[in-house]
Amino acid sequence: MTQPKLYSAAAMHYVLYAFNAASVFLLAIFMSITQTKINTSMSARLFLDSVSAVPWSANKIILFAICAFLLLLSLSIIYRRCILTQSKYRYIILALEICSCLIVMRSINMAYDGVILLVVADLISGYRGKNQRIILTAAMFSLYLIASYNLVDLQLKMIPFDVYISYYNQSVQGILKAACNILTSFNMILFVIYTMLLVQNQHQEKERIQSLNKQLNDANEKLRNYAIEAEHMAETRERNRLAREIHDTLGHALTSIIAGLDACLATIDAAPDFTKKQLKVISDTARHGINDVRRSVRRLRPDNLEKLPLKNALSQMIGDFASASGMHISLNYDCCPQNLRADEEEVIYRVIQESITNANRHGHAAHIEIIFSQTDGLLKIHIKDDGTGCENPIEGFGLRHMQERLSLLHGTLKYKSCGGFIIQADIPLSRGDIYNDKNNDSR
Amino acid sequence: MFRNIQQKNVKLLLCIAALLILSALFFYNIYAQKQEQLVIRLGLFSGSNWNVPSGDSYAAIDNAIKNFENIHPNVKITYVSGIRKQDYAEWLAEKVLDGSEPDIFMVLSDDFNLYSTMGLLQNLDTLAESDPSFDTDAYYPASLDYGQYKHRQYALPFESVPTLMFVNKTLLARENIAIPENGWTWQDFIDICRRVTKDTDDDGVPDQFGYYDYTWQQAAASNGLQLFRDDGKFSYFADSKMAETLKFMIDLKKTNMGHTVTAKDFDMGNVAFRPFTFAEYRTYKPYPWRIKKYSSFEWDCIEMPAGPSGSNTSELNTLLIGMSSRSSHKKMAWEFLKELCYSGKTQRFLPSVSQGVPVIKAAAESDEARQALLYDAPGDEKMNLSIISNIMQSAVSPPKFQKYSLAMLMADSEIKKIIDEIIPFNNALNKIQKKINDFLQN
Repeated sequence: MTQPKLYSAAAMHYVLYAFNAASVFLLAIFMSITQTKINTSMSARLFLDSVSAVPWSANKIILFAICAFLLLLSLSIIYRRCILTQSKYRYIILALEICSCLIVMRSINMAYDGVILLVVADLISGYRGKNQRIILTAAMFSLYLIASYNLVDLQLKMIPFDVYISYYNQSVQGILKAACNILTSFNMILFVIYTMLLVQNQHQEKERIQSLNKQLNDANEKLRNYAIEAEHMAETRERNRLAREIHDTLGHALTSIIAGLDACLATIDAAPDFTKKQLKVISDTARHGINDVRRSVRRLRPDNLEKLPLKNALSQMIGDFASASGMHISLNYDCCPQNLRADEEEVIYRVIQESITNANRHGHAAHIEIIFSQTDGLLKIHIKDDGTGCENPIEGFGLRHMQERLSLLHGTLKYKSCGGFIIQADIPLSRGDIYNDKNNDSR
Repeated sequence: MFRNIQQKNVKLLLCIAALLILSALFFYNIYAQKQEQLVIRLGLFSGSNWNVPSGDSYAAIDNAIKNFENIHPNVKITYVSGIRKQDYAEWLAEKVLDGSEPDIFMVLSDDFNLYSTMGLLQNLDTLAESDPSFDTDAYYPASLDYGQYKHRQYALPFESVPTLMFVNKTLLARENIAIPENGWTWQDFIDICRRVTKDTDDDGVPDQFGYYDYTWQQAAASNGLQLFRDDGKFSYFADSKMAETLKFMIDLKKTNMGHTVTAKDFDMGNVAFRPFTFAEYRTYKPYPWRIKKYSSFEWDCIEMPAGPSGSNTSELNTLLIGMSSRSSHKKMAWEFLKELCYSGKTQRFLPSVSQGVPVIKAAAESDEARQALLYDAPGDEKMNLSIISNIMQSAVSPPKFQKYSLAMLMADSEIKKIIDEIIPFNNALNKIQKKINDFLQN
């Protein structure tokens, strides 16, 4: 619906071009024919008596009018393209266009000022924002000042159109004057129609943008609902899987252990050796069970972390994110202990992942610096971005989750906004049995 | 899509640039060709500018062209011959309208104001100032002034013709009156007129008169009257000098006893004085005209009579040559203009082929010019030619502004009424001045 309207304004613009071309050409032809007639009728001296300027020759009038109009036309087309591309040369093009407009008018002795409207049409169609309002007003004002013949007459001496007309007899004079007025008025009407179409176009464009915006919002809302639903489904699926796992592995193992222990209780006095052997079997079963549990838990861990050591996993995650978002992320991993537990690794991984996401989403940061340091048995992770920061961050899921995860490890989370946003996560490195356990795990 | 548009833009720009370069090359080629053989076109009319019969009117110009082409072998001067003076204005106007006027052309007095206002005539001041070999002091001031408009030099004088007073020596001798001396006055003029006006054949009608064709403008010029302010916005008709002039004209007219003197009376030798241009003097004095016209009496020329507030000033008529402001070879055109209007060679040669006075002082006073001026004049009728230089030096040229001829026409019709005593003299000049000022200022 809107496309044909846009097209009609463009078509109107071409009609304006064509009409002005015809007007300028007609006037140029008229003047040169009149001059030739004056010469052949031996009244050149009389004609010169009534003019105050050196007239251009007939050929020069036609040549200049046509060439300058073609130049004006091409500059106008280039100017319109420059506006589309917001080229920085468009002001130069505009200035040249105004110059060629003046040459056109000069060549036909300012008998027709309709070509100004061509430039004004370009100015209006290229009108963007407040800065251009001044340029537009100034350009239009000066063009009309120049065009009002009396002002130009002071500087540029020209031959008034009336002198050409006065060569003819009274009845022809009337027709010629009327024709000239019709040209001017008709051009004005065309210009008004063009402006109207342009305004209409802009209005429709605005409406179209509004309707598109509404569609987008609707789609966004749908998408959000769908995401929530999908999350619920995933949660349910995961819960079911966990239940199945617990039932299959832990349940199975615990049942075997209870059964075995019950048997051991019965046999411990009668056959301690057998019982011992049996307990060994139970111990193996328990160990199998815990291995199964670990395997289940490991399935919940991030993929990268599952396959790679923490440092590589972090590097890969950061690399992926950086290349996807265009941010610069630096990672200083030197002070990080090598032997972290899987749960610690996961917390670290998640905290960093969440921080980067936040810096990108809320802070619109371009640079993020991640520094690991170790003091007094504390692993400190310092994440600093150069984004907009946030004076009073509302604890959303992100920050709260980070805090919850850290508190599981007896760690703390601090954050503040100064310039960008700074997050500091402290994790106590308590070694000992867990450490061994970890060692065992890793075997 | 954007890239597409930019590519198109670049292509368009390239096309335009190519076009511009091509056209520049094209014009440069034409220019370069012109450099090789430079043609200066000259516009002139045949015959004399002073409305006297003239033999070879192109002689002086042809001579100058020959000299110039010898010095500048790559320059060719061309002109269209055979354009009569009465057709010249229209011919030139047609050329102007066609945009093909000559680089250098003769400017008629009637055209000078129009073409200098219009901007067709090149302002020569900058060319003259930047040319060390050119000095305006070499000219007679009135001749140079003739080519000025609003204090700018738009054309250079080629030759000038002052107005003299023709004296019928035979008539004065018959009446026992001596030929007036140089420095004679209005009083001498009117006294002689009164004495000679009489009825010689006793038919009751006067048939011998004092003067013919003496105008109030000539009287005003010799009474030191400036009629218009320099800018042409104000006139001084109410000046006391004008009143003197008019009183004199009324008195002078009364000497004719109400009879209207005709050219026939003058040709028959029945009139003592008549203003006569120097060109007419040069034409009719020597053979063959000498025996064709005014052959029944002896005559000579003297200065115009001086008014009480003025001197023996005469009005100067000057033939101007100007340069087109659209000429494409202004430098060379200026050189040729100098060859015509400034070079001593051309100017000294002028008197031997033309009826005018050279506009360069040194040329007019040179032996060569003197010889030419005296050539063929019968021995006993040599006018004291040394006065020519004095007359030229003190002559005035008419004011130049756009409305001059119309204003003079208006004033002339009114003043003639006063002289003919159709309207009373008192206060009439104030009314004329007011009327002319109104006309000049609107």
